[in-house]
Amino acid sequence: MYINIGIISVINTHGDSMPRHIVSGLKYIAAVNLRKKGHTQKKIAEILDMDRSTVSHYLNGRNVSWTSIEIAEVITNFCPKDFMILTYALLKDREQTRNIIKTCSARRYEAFIKDSCIGCALCVDNCLMNAITLDNLRSHIDPEWCFGCRICETECPTDSIEIKEVD
Amino acid sequence: METTEIIEDKNITVERTGEEIRKLFFKNELCASCGLCEEICPVSAIEVEPTGAMVRTEQESSKINIDETKCVLCGMCSCICPFDALDLEIDGESIKDKEEYPKLIKSAEIDDELCIYCKACETACPQTAITVSRELPARADLVTGEIEVDKDKCIYCGMCEEMCPADAIYLEEQIPTSDNPEVASDIIIDEDKCVYCGICKRICPEDAITEACRICPYGEYEIEEADVTGSSIIDDELCVNCGWCQEICPKDAPTVTKPFEGELTHDDEICQGCETCVMVCPCNVFSFPQPSKSGEKVPKLFKDERFCIYCGACEKSCPVDAIEVKRTKVNYTPTKSKAWQNAFESLKS
Repeated sequence: MYINIGIISVINTHGDSMPRHIVSGLKYIAAVNLRKKGHTQKKIAEILDMDRSTVSHYLNGRNVSWTSIEIAEVITNFCPKDFMILTYALLKDREQTRNIIKTCSARRYEAFIKDSCIGCALCVDNCLMNAITLDNLRSHIDPEWCFGCRICETECPTDSIEIKEVD
Repeated sequence: METTEIIEDKNITVERTGEEIRKLFFKNELCASCGLCEEICPVSAIEVEPTGAMVRTEQESSKINIDETKCVLCGMCSCICPFDALDLEIDGESIKDKEEYPKLIKSAEIDDELCIYCKACETACPQTAITVSRELPARADLVTGEIEVDKDKCIYCGMCEEMCPADAIYLEEQIPTSDNPEVASDIIIDEDKCVYCGICKRICPEDAITEACRICPYGEYEIEEADVTGSSIIDDELCVNCGWCQEICPKDAPTVTKPFEGELTHDDEICQGCETCVMVCPCNVFSFPQPSKSGEKVPKLFKDERFCIYCGACEKSCPVDAIEVKRTKVNYTPTKSKAWQNAFESLKS
């Protein structure tokens, strides 16, 4: 519903396979990050929904073009909202989008919910990262999953959400 | 995620599907156009249609409008509506059954131990929310005696039948023929209906009836106490907790808890006697006083605040602002949400 970014048309001019190449670039970055965090290849394959052998190839720098990785790197440095929307458009899978964004985003965010929150759960429905839950008619944002797209902040009918980047 | 609105028979459903399914239902028939939903809505999505004209002519549209592009399905309107015309369901469960949501404290109950099934509340209830059903004992159980017709003396004149206050006597009339020259074939007394009053005996020109009431001449007989059983039921959906039943009951059987406390004032100078408030008020608080003799000056409008629930429908509908409803207290269940608490408290004037 948010997708209307010029880059998509750029990608599409490179043919149908271009999105797939970028996805492999993103998955490569995610796989490397997960490996750095100490996950096994088996676990990485599970999180990113890939074959174990593909993970192994990626981690050894095989089967991925450097251009794809370069573009994927550009995407991960987009503002969080664009990064998320584009990744979701490429993957068309919410769970995978969540995992890739979580592993590729280095920035951390903190959310403040004001007393004016009415608990309408609009933010819960809007959050692609499933980071928001409701407790006693008040939103709670899990900093573990929030990566600062600020869609909740913009859409909140009572302006009750404030997202701040943590240094 | 998508928000949609369906209007059917003036009833409104607003639905949002996302992590959960939220559905807001509006039942037009229960709405009193008091405007509390409009007042509490944090996103100004509700608009109450003007009531002045509506009470006189049946309106084509719903009493309220909900803008589905603004509605965030928070449920505040549903929790504040004193008439339960609005209800928000989350995944099929009404938020009125969820503890975290504050709700108005309001109730009406009839104590079965005290109720004598006199039906005063049923007659007075402005919303016809009360049904009293009762079972009276058989008349024959409360009176006892003996009655007999000497059919040899009876001339079937029918005077006893005509006079009997209990319709207990029945003549089987017939057209006399040469073969059977009688005006009636039989006279029957229904002892279940007879109250042994003796009128038949006194009117009979032929002294054909003998009757004796066992109570009168010989003192009290052992007759069982009259036992009236029944049930008085309040339909919670229709009940507006106005307190009419409580005030009119001779036995103090009903107990009513009202959602709001406050003050109702009416300026008879400004009032034009247009009757809008009389028609709008769901609690029959207002009436037009009738002069007891001609020429007597009576106020234009009479109000009895005992029946008022301070919903504000009259104030909202009065075309000349002659009515003021002040709310001093909103009775609601506790909530941990500051925003909800503030919203409920904001309805106090």
